Amino acid sequence: MFGPHQKIILHLLDIPKMADALKGVVMELQDSSYPLLDSVVATTDVQTAFLHINVAILVGAFPRGPGMQRKDLLKVNVSIFKEQGEALNKYASRDVKVLVVGNPANTNALTALTKASDLPTANFSALTRLDQNRAQSMISEKVGVSVENVNNVIIWGNHSLTQVPDVNHGYISNYPQRDLVSPIKSAVEDEKWLNEQFIPLVQNRGAAVIAARKLSSAASAANAIVGHMRDWLLGTRDGEVVSMAVYSDGSYNIPKGLIFSFPVTCRQGQWSIVQDLKISPFIQAKLELTTKELEEEKQVALSFLN
Amino acid sequence: MSDVANVVITGAAGQIAYSLIFNVCKGDMFGPEQKVKLFLLDIPQMVESLKGVLMEIQDGAYPLVTDVVCTADIKEAFTGANYVILVGAMPRKDGMERADLLKANASIFKVQGKAINDYANKNVKVLVVGNPANTNCLIAMHYAPDIAKENFTCLTRLDHNRAKSQIALKAGVNVKDVHNVIIWGNHSSTQYPDYRCGYINLPGGKQPIGNVISDEKWLQGEFISTVQKRGAAVIAARKFSSAASAAKAITDHMRDWVLGTPEGEYVSMGVPSDGSYGIESGIIFSYPVKCQNGKYTIIQGLSIDNFSKDKIEITRKELVEEKEAAFKFVGDN
Repeated sequence: MFGPHQKIILHLLDIPKMADALKGVVMELQDSSYPLLDSVVATTDVQTAFLHINVAILVGAFPRGPGMQRKDLLKVNVSIFKEQGEALNKYASRDVKVLVVGNPANTNALTALTKASDLPTANFSALTRLDQNRAQSMISEKVGVSVENVNNVIIWGNHSLTQVPDVNHGYISNYPQRDLVSPIKSAVEDEKWLNEQFIPLVQNRGAAVIAARKLSSAASAANAIVGHMRDWLLGTRDGEVVSMAVYSDGSYNIPKGLIFSFPVTCRQGQWSIVQDLKISPFIQAKLELTTKELEEEKQVALSFLN
Repeated sequence: MSDVANVVITGAAGQIAYSLIFNVCKGDMFGPEQKVKLFLLDIPQMVESLKGVLMEIQDGAYPLVTDVVCTADIKEAFTGANYVILVGAMPRKDGMERADLLKANASIFKVQGKAINDYANKNVKVLVVGNPANTNCLIAMHYAPDIAKENFTCLTRLDHNRAKSQIALKAGVNVKDVHNVIIWGNHSSTQYPDYRCGYINLPGGKQPIGNVISDEKWLQGEFISTVQKRGAAVIAARKFSSAASAAKAITDHMRDWVLGTPEGEYVSMGVPSDGSYGIESGIIFSYPVKCQNGKYTIIQGLSIDNFSKDKIEITRKELVEEKEAAFKFVGDN
């Protein structure tokens, strides 16, 4: 995540019920013999967990139980992320960078940010890198190239079923032969597939993995978290665009004050939204849907906060 | 090494494999330039689960992974294999005697040894993890007579990493400063974690472990039993076996074997005994080794005191008994 020379102190937080399991994790960390691991603090106490931290990865959230409505899910998670936002505000290092993974990720990040008013809004993000990786992989399968030749696929909006996978600004390297470059749309040559199958495939991939594994994606989510943080802190390569859900500033007419996934580049620990990409009417309609959903989630969350 | 390495992992739908597979995909095992083709083998009942693992590998967008084959067919899995990691084994069930466990696994590893012999690349490197690891490795090796016996190893690197960690915790240093602890013998409760040739990097220079930790009673008592019983301690806390730390140890073992150990560094590997330290050939025994050019060499000339001699003899004896029991079941064909 931070490169081969960065030493780390891990703060591991979970609920009291999980304290024994957490002990087991600490034992396995010791048994793994990691030179970069300076020490581990395993705790159920929020203050201890958040004290002086430089990076916060908020994976834990309340999962949806049977019969639970979306509103109930939002309500219970608002109280969790309110507490975590307050803890970040009070105890974390002032430069702390926050990645929210626990769903509903965008709105949970917004809740935390709202309660951490002393910290820059730019330091809060939510994970859409997993969706980006999935989209990249599906394009590579469709075109028949190695996944590392697929570049700059974008995920816009909410990390939910309304997310907008967008290939209109992406390209394939070394295609149709070495040293040539093709826009993804012309390499795929199948607009119908792109619009009608590719987009739902990416949107529904999480459910597809659960159906096969009987468990949520874990390893691939972890890999995406690593990619998101590494690129944020160490920078994206020249010409490389990645997707991060960040505090909207009005770019692309997205209302300010939402956590919205945008195409970004990263440099010196800061992300910047890539500007001036042309948005087709097809994509525009989808951006509006996902914006609407995020605004509704925001209203519900704020109502619980007040 | 060729353009693409064919890597086989058995028990591929299980917990250890779930961590291990992604270590391989990231390039931790063979380095950041080595492309890999993964062959994931499990029993037919687990093939649906394997599909989920495949989806997650795809969703990882790993540049080093050229292809993934998920199968329950041993020939498909082992054909052209360059590296084989045998994680899958029959687990001990309630009421199962040690003899039953040996018997069930002996038949599994006989089949796998034959498959390695008949289908794998002749230079295949094999790491046996599934327990009883040493004896399972011996069986597989026995049924793969066309493969050099030096290509068969079993995992004691987890015990080695655990031993380093216990020394580091006791001495109050980072684990990276602990060197050359040794695991002798069987990957079982008779293993002998040996501190005597090890040293710690202190700001003032290298110091033998025995100088830094002057508590000989602890080094010959609690240190040894803690490492021997660590697996059970992790199960008690997690309610599951060690998975992530086992996967890390597997990654370390293979990386060091293939890419070489740093100058002066010993690691522990279960390898075919060759008479070194009085262990007659014919079992798989964990020794201190160094690795270079894809080969391991047992470190020779280390002094063995009486305390160590006794410990080594206990674990050797257990291995000989396991061998006799296992071969009785599979016969000798």
